[in-house]
Formats: sequence, structure tokens, C-alpha cells
Amino acid sequence: MRSLVFLSAEGEGFVPPSSNDFELPPVFGNSAFTTKPILMVFLSVILVSVFFILSSRKAAIIPSKFQFAGESVYAFVRNDLARDVIGHEFMRFVPYLFTLFTFILTNNLFGIIPLLQFPTMSRVSFPYVLAITVYLVFHYVGIRKQGAWKYFKEIMFMPGVPKAAYILITPLELLTFLLVRPLTLSLRLFANMFAGHLLLLVFILGGEHLLQGVIGLKLISPFAFLIGIVLTFFEFMVQCLQAYIFTLLAALYIAGALADEH
Amino acid sequence: MATRDENAAWSIIGYLLSGLLFWGAVGWALDKWLGTSFLLLTGLIVGAASGIYLVWLRFGRE
Repeated sequence: MRSLVFLSAEGEGFVPPSSNDFELPPVFGNSAFTTKPILMVFLSVILVSVFFILSSRKAAIIPSKFQFAGESVYAFVRNDLARDVIGHEFMRFVPYLFTLFTFILTNNLFGIIPLLQFPTMSRVSFPYVLAITVYLVFHYVGIRKQGAWKYFKEIMFMPGVPKAAYILITPLELLTFLLVRPLTLSLRLFANMFAGHLLLLVFILGGEHLLQGVIGLKLISPFAFLIGIVLTFFEFMVQCLQAYIFTLLAALYIAGALADEH
Repeated sequence: MATRDENAAWSIIGYLLSGLLFWGAVGWALDKWLGTSFLLLTGLIVGAASGIYLVWLRFGRE
């Protein structure tokens, strides 16, 4: 086994996938605005819009399968995410949370859809922008609801704590609310998509490379492809989960900003 | 309440992280300023401790 690997290493070298594989050239023209991730974002907007417009246009009492699929997603976001987390004021946040969820889910799923096969969110700017919108929304909502002074006072000074302890924990509360929350929110999504795509690249490109080796390596390559396929299903799970977690956390942050007392 | 537990699970990571980050950074800056080398470690320990204390304040006491 070891010598077989060695043999293949003597031939044309295997270039392991790296972060360079995520920097894609423009699809057409010479502009940075025509790269694959950006075109895929536009595609996702079109797909999500068309899907939900079509599934709700001919809404009937007895829903078609198509309508049922659209309504299930909507009901999931409205009931399980917005209503359960935010409480009685949930309805005005449903459009935002619904958009977040479907947008992220579609873009994540691009990672395993044949021919597209690139998760848009593995480019860190997209999660950054999404996290910035969440950041603006939950601080805005909190300040509108409680007034700027009261909102920040609630963040900084928790009731029922000895005064001396504020020196230790007030900076942490501020840092958590103002920096760590949006940062972890975006980096969690980015890192999951990035690592998942890299993992698939390793096994599928590795399998392809083994296929070009000597006969012993050819026999091993199906296992690499098999793991690649298993990991693709695993990725599907991760992609759904990450879209859910991002939306759940957005809802939790909004709920926290709305709550009168923490 | 399920929401409260979910909230706790995700907030704890953030609080522990900011504890280390903030007081670690303070210790590091003091080290630079005073030319010492033990304050970074002190800061990290203080940060971890106050992060855990904050988690307990928020979610531990009922």
C-alpha cells in the first residue's frame, strides 16, 4: 500500500485542493462581478422567487404537491422558528427570517447540485453581509423598542450582580453583543461550507487521481469515490442544518433585543 | 422552555470567547506597556473565569 502510494507520487504529482480552489475566475468578461459565486447568488434569488411565486399563485384549499412544498417551508420558518422563538410579535419578522432561510439554504445546496457544485457561502463576504443585516436588524429593533439608553443599559448592567463584578463582565457583554455575535454567526456558516466543499474535493479529486495510477491504485479509487458520495449526503445534512442555525440565531438575537428583561 | 436552552447553548460560546479575547487583549497590552510577560496569561485566566461567571449569572442561577 505504501509503495503503491509512493509509485503514484513519482508520476505526475497530485495537487491537493486548497483555498485557491475557491478563487474562481470571471465566467465571462474581465469583471470581478461575473464570477461564479456572484452569478449563483443571482440564480438563487431567481430560483427562490420563482418557486414561491409559482407555488402560491394558484393557492387552493386542497393544495397541489407544489403548493404543499412551498407552504411547508413557510410554515416551518413561521411556526418553528419565528413564533416559538420571538413570541407574540413574531409576524413582522417572518418575511426577513423566511428570506434569510430560503436564501442561505438555496446557496448552500448549490454545493452539491451537479454542475453548480459550489457553496456560495464558502466565500466569506456573503456570510459577512448576511450577518451585518442581522446585526442591524436586532440592534435597531432593540433600540426602537426600549430606547437607546435602556437597551444598552440592559446589555451592560445585569440586575442582581455585585457592583465590583461589573468591571469584569460589562466589557464582555459589550464585546459579545457588538463583535463576537455577528462574527461567530458569519464565520460558522462560512467555515462549515468551506470545510465541507474542501472535504468533497479531497475525496473526489483524490479518487480521480488514483484512477490514473497503476492497477493497485485503480482498485482503491472506488473507495475514495464511495466516501465522496457518502460525504455528499453528509454535506446535504450540514447545509440544511447551517441554514437553520443561522436563521435560528437571527431569531434568538431579535427575541433577546425585544425582551424587556434578560 | 426550549428556546431558553437553545439561547443558552449558543450564547455560552460567545461569552467564553469574549472573556478570553477581552481580558487576554488587556493582559497582552499591559505586557507590551510594562515589559512584563506574565500578564497575558493572567488576563486569559481572568477572562476565562469571568466568562464562566457571566454564563453562570445569565443561565445558572434560577
